[in-house]
Amino acid sequence: MKMTSPLPPPGKEMGHYVSEAPFDVMSIEKISPEQEKIYLAPQWKLMWWKFRQHRIAVWCGVFLAILYATIFISEFLAPYNIQTRNVDNIYSPPQRVHLIHEGEFVGPFVYRQNYKLNMETLKREYTKDTSKVDKIRFFCTGDKYHWWGLVAMETHLFCPANGGELFLLGTDRLGRDMFSRIMGGARISLTIGLLGVMVSFVLGIVIGGMAGYYGGWVDMVVQRIIEVLQSLPSIPLWLALAAIMPVTWSPLVVYFGITVILGLLDWTGLARAVRSKLFSLREEDYVMAAQLMGAKPKRIISLHLVPGFMSHLIATATIAIPTMILGETALSFLGLGLRPPITSWGVLLIEAQNINVVALYPWLMLPVVPVVLVILAFNFLGDGLRDAADPYK
Amino acid sequence: MSCLRLALLSMLLLLVLGVQANAFAMTFEETPYFNDLVKAGKIDPVAKRLPQQPRVIDLGALGRKPGVHGGKLRMLMGSKKDVRMMVYYGYSRLVGYDLNYKLQPDILANYDVEDGRIFTLHLRPGHRWSDGAPFTTEDFRFTYEDVMLNKKLRRGGLPNSMLVNGKGPKFTVIDEVTVRYEWDAPNPKFLPALAAPLPLYLTYPSTYMKQFHADFIGKEQVEALAKKRKYKHWRAMFIRLGRQNRPENPDLPTLEPWFNTIAPPSEQFVFKRNPYFHRVDSNGRQLPYIDIVEMNISSPNLIPAKTGAGESDLQGRYVSFEDYTFLKQSEKRQGYNVLLWKSAVGSKVAIRPNLNFKDDTWRAVMQDARFRRALSLGINRHEINMVTFFGLGKEVADSPLMQSPLFNPEFASAWASHDPVLANRLLDQVGLEKRDDDGTRLLPDGKRAELIIETAGESTVETDVLQLITDHWQVLGLKVFTRATQRDIFRSRLKAGNTMMSVWSGLDNAIPQPSMSPEELAPSNDSQTQWPQWGLYGMTGGKSGIEPDLASAKRLLLLWQEWQQSRDDETRERIWNDMLKLYTSEVFSIGTVNSTLQPIVVSKKLNNVPKEEVYSFQPGSYFGVFMVDTFWFQDGLGSD
Amino acid sequence: MLRYIAWRITVMVPTLLMISALVFAIIELPPGDYFESYVAELQAQGENVDLKAIEALKVQYGFDKPPVERYFHWVWGMLQGDFGYSFEYELPVTDVVGDRLWLTMLVSFVTIIFTWLIAFPIGIYSATHQYSWGDYGLTFVGLLGLATPNFLLALVFLYLANLWFGTSIGHLMDAQYFNQPMSWAKAKSIMEHLIIPVIIIGTAGTAGMIRRIRANLLDELQKQYVITARAKGLHPFKALMKYPLRMSMNFFISDIGSILPAIISGAEITAIVLSLETTGPLLIRALQAQDMYLAGSFLMFLAGLSVIGVLISDFALALLDPRIRLQGAHTK
Repeated sequence: MKMTSPLPPPGKEMGHYVSEAPFDVMSIEKISPEQEKIYLAPQWKLMWWKFRQHRIAVWCGVFLAILYATIFISEFLAPYNIQTRNVDNIYSPPQRVHLIHEGEFVGPFVYRQNYKLNMETLKREYTKDTSKVDKIRFFCTGDKYHWWGLVAMETHLFCPANGGELFLLGTDRLGRDMFSRIMGGARISLTIGLLGVMVSFVLGIVIGGMAGYYGGWVDMVVQRIIEVLQSLPSIPLWLALAAIMPVTWSPLVVYFGITVILGLLDWTGLARAVRSKLFSLREEDYVMAAQLMGAKPKRIISLHLVPGFMSHLIATATIAIPTMILGETALSFLGLGLRPPITSWGVLLIEAQNINVVALYPWLMLPVVPVVLVILAFNFLGDGLRDAADPYK
Repeated sequence: MSCLRLALLSMLLLLVLGVQANAFAMTFEETPYFNDLVKAGKIDPVAKRLPQQPRVIDLGALGRKPGVHGGKLRMLMGSKKDVRMMVYYGYSRLVGYDLNYKLQPDILANYDVEDGRIFTLHLRPGHRWSDGAPFTTEDFRFTYEDVMLNKKLRRGGLPNSMLVNGKGPKFTVIDEVTVRYEWDAPNPKFLPALAAPLPLYLTYPSTYMKQFHADFIGKEQVEALAKKRKYKHWRAMFIRLGRQNRPENPDLPTLEPWFNTIAPPSEQFVFKRNPYFHRVDSNGRQLPYIDIVEMNISSPNLIPAKTGAGESDLQGRYVSFEDYTFLKQSEKRQGYNVLLWKSAVGSKVAIRPNLNFKDDTWRAVMQDARFRRALSLGINRHEINMVTFFGLGKEVADSPLMQSPLFNPEFASAWASHDPVLANRLLDQVGLEKRDDDGTRLLPDGKRAELIIETAGESTVETDVLQLITDHWQVLGLKVFTRATQRDIFRSRLKAGNTMMSVWSGLDNAIPQPSMSPEELAPSNDSQTQWPQWGLYGMTGGKSGIEPDLASAKRLLLLWQEWQQSRDDETRERIWNDMLKLYTSEVFSIGTVNSTLQPIVVSKKLNNVPKEEVYSFQPGSYFGVFMVDTFWFQDGLGSD
Repeated sequence: MLRYIAWRITVMVPTLLMISALVFAIIELPPGDYFESYVAELQAQGENVDLKAIEALKVQYGFDKPPVERYFHWVWGMLQGDFGYSFEYELPVTDVVGDRLWLTMLVSFVTIIFTWLIAFPIGIYSATHQYSWGDYGLTFVGLLGLATPNFLLALVFLYLANLWFGTSIGHLMDAQYFNQPMSWAKAKSIMEHLIIPVIIIGTAGTAGMIRRIRANLLDELQKQYVITARAKGLHPFKALMKYPLRMSMNFFISDIGSILPAIISGAEITAIVLSLETTGPLLIRALQAQDMYLAGSFLMFLAGLSVIGVLISDFALALLDPRIRLQGAHTK
């Protein structure tokens, strides 16, 4: 840059100027209203803002919330009961829902299907009868059920037309409606993940917390236990634990047993995270400050440390849920998990695990769709939560 | 039907005998497979390899075509233990069943029975083991005296079928080709045991086995050998290397049509033709026709897929009726035919109340025949048949199939109709007339009538049928819960009396002949699911287990003992009929559907496989009685 | 450093002891023993069981002794290189595992390479393009493999591969190559059969790998030195590759220990469905049949692998980063 104003001649005093205006000491580091909002916002708000940036995670959260809401009323949402058989409609392929019949709008309906047994291959063949229109009924009376085993009800969101059938996702080898079975299976599959994670969450926090807080030999022992558990492949551990469950247990107890097994083997990761977080947070200045101000350890942990890593834990836990859901299917595969007549997605998938289904009745593999969707959703949600867990970045 | 069969059989016998007399005049044709070896002088030519009187199979008389040598037969198996299937498929026995399940000499040239207790066995002179060592009465002597009676090798003593009233036979070697087993009382179990899928082996290859026997090579040498071969002691080595029902030892000489060449662990077992096999066809071609049998081990759930992809030439195991549509679909593309044989069990799925169940109230109820009859009447067999078998099965009680001479419509239909009204009335009579609010019946002591049925959890058909039965019995006011476990837990719970009811298949032998043992119908074994403790009692001759306290079960036990003393087939037939009548009218086993279909996949190039037959383990040894050695490939070429 | 190594190795001893106790518990806990399953199976096949002979077998293998005694016997045997005897195969455990180990290594090795090849580019792209549609899309693809139950995927792939390409179903080679010496044709057959298992096992692990690369790289990218480098006008690519990527690879080293057991264990179910000649199906079968020495020794072997793996990665980390060394000695 070129100097424009000439310097005063040599020997002369330089000009002196003092601003009369009042000086605002904060002006250099002045924060805008937006910044102020950020600085003053509580942590959860910051996390929420950060989380919102991960658009997919938000959508996944919404999706999961809806899904979990449905399991409260799954009997209502399904047109049939889980075990209702339609022996005249065995291995029926999914029926297509139409809206317009011969150029006329009639609302959602399906065409009646006719069944013929191919005596050559013994295949059940279905043909559509486009002259018979079965209109889907809404808020209608259908199969009787006990809502949560308590209230006897028979209202469904939608049902087949009187005298007709409605198999949105086809039927299985006993003519059971796949859509209803998937809806019913959701109740077990979705909760098994949550309960399992809760078990591992509690274990992880307690054990990891003890290791991190007490340090020393406690830490040493916990570290070794974790190392031992992590050095063994999980399937043999599942197998062993599942094998000691007495076969006389009722299905409900087996279900809880399996959640506990899944949880029992999954806490190690969480415990490690808790421990290392405790170690690093212990060294933070604000903890030092609290200590200097005379805060007791209990107060430090619950008020200063726990909020610091809770968000991380939740994110980790979210990502662990899919492992549990898949773990349940793996256990079913090995014949040690849930078994029919209990219906979970895992059980449904095991029933689809044969070549006939792959080659002839592929719609029986449809339970894989909700499994994939839920796992993806949990993963994206977990990613979003984790990105948001440290909002100060 | 059976008349025709008898006529055919007698014709066949005449033919066989006639041909056998001519056997000396036959000219034998060398197997191409051995051409080089014979030329090199490594083995004898065929005429010298065969016994002086080979067993001549007249295929024309069986309605089959004589074939040509060559080819490789591929089969799929689900576990390395299935190597034993080869003993069933080969079905070479001292005495075996013919196509009508009548006993006939096979390895033996002949046998005589006197008074039902003296058995004289005549060998074929010049018969040799697969390693070329002579097969003589020394093999019988060695087996009986040095193995069976050797306390170190046989801690359990003689096998059951060689004991009559707890005593073994008197054994005599008459000459090089004749031996005699003689009991004090009749032993009708003896010959069926020789013909069984898992036969009673009276012969070890003595020349080979003596080198592992302490009495022949000395204690120290044998222990050193055992150590070298990584066995704990010589007994383990002897038993392991000499096991004929699981041909795992490639060096063990055999009398079967093929011998194994690969030692486990392996994913594949290759069986090669036995150069000294004793059967020939009427054209003078030594059997088997097929040179090599290749068993590939896969996982059971892949086998239908692999079969559908044309990877097997003969498959009945691990493919089930549910796979039929799939198999049929790729039939043309892959060049095989899917045949439908009948599955030979008394009932595809049978439910058995455990009469030794721990709970006193329940046990009393279940021991009441009216209760079991009511359960049977409550089942809608037609629905089961339609849903799981396309209506192709027979809706009957757990009883013999029509193919058996002991079939009787009275047994088949015993309490097998669907009559919920009568069933309900019967249940009212046994003291279950009180009901809970939801209609569930109450036991005399006030408990709810909730039935827990256990399964080994191995088949989806079982689960499906149970689903249907759950609904059927709901109508009777009985609540059903099913519980799937695993086979070993299933068994041990049953034996301990912890299982109330169980599901298994019905009678194992559903095409019985009077000459076969009716032990399945009586408490005779602790693996019987309807009365494990009584079965243990029967099995051990009263040494352990519980004595049956139910009149009908006692009677069955007595009848079975009577059969064991029987001298002729008329008596045996009468006993069988009495037992079947009692067993079905008392409904000790609740049958559903039998004569269900079993797909058999056969390569299009493979000849002589019967179109429609009964597929059974007992007594048919699966393909065994149909003589796999007479199956042949078109042009002598396998599928690859 | 020497002190650290010595300390680290001493710590390994109790770990291995605890593992052996746990493994023994795993194989001992389920009710019943091998002989019960054996009897049940024989009876189901219609064989008459000689109960006296079974009793004799039990005594022969020490099943009449208390578990604690058997445990010490087993551990002592392993220390001397005797891994016990497989009841089911009636062979020493080492003979049973034999060839399968090499095929397992092959499958694992190819799978690891496959995972890296996929995970690296996706992870780097996702980290540098956070919250873009590309990030979402690629993460989605990566997750798909994780989200689909392997056993179902395996069967579908098998069927389609047979239908479209005529690949024979299952196994690691065509049947004609079993028991054959290695040849060009056999190698080709193995390569062809490797594709499906590698894809199925590999995709399951890819998602985790992508996520870790992304997270670690994101952490690094926000550090001051990266900003400085970028401010200095360093080419973005170089600014990414030169330091942040390398730094974020630290986790890679700490992963060495867990990677092998994880892959072997994750592959078990797939291997069962595909009927692969690897160790996974053998292990599961041994556990189910309660063939305890086979199962136990094999689990011990796997655990040993991972313990040594962790040890190596700890040494490597300590070598690379003195802070860990100091901290390790300090807190542990």
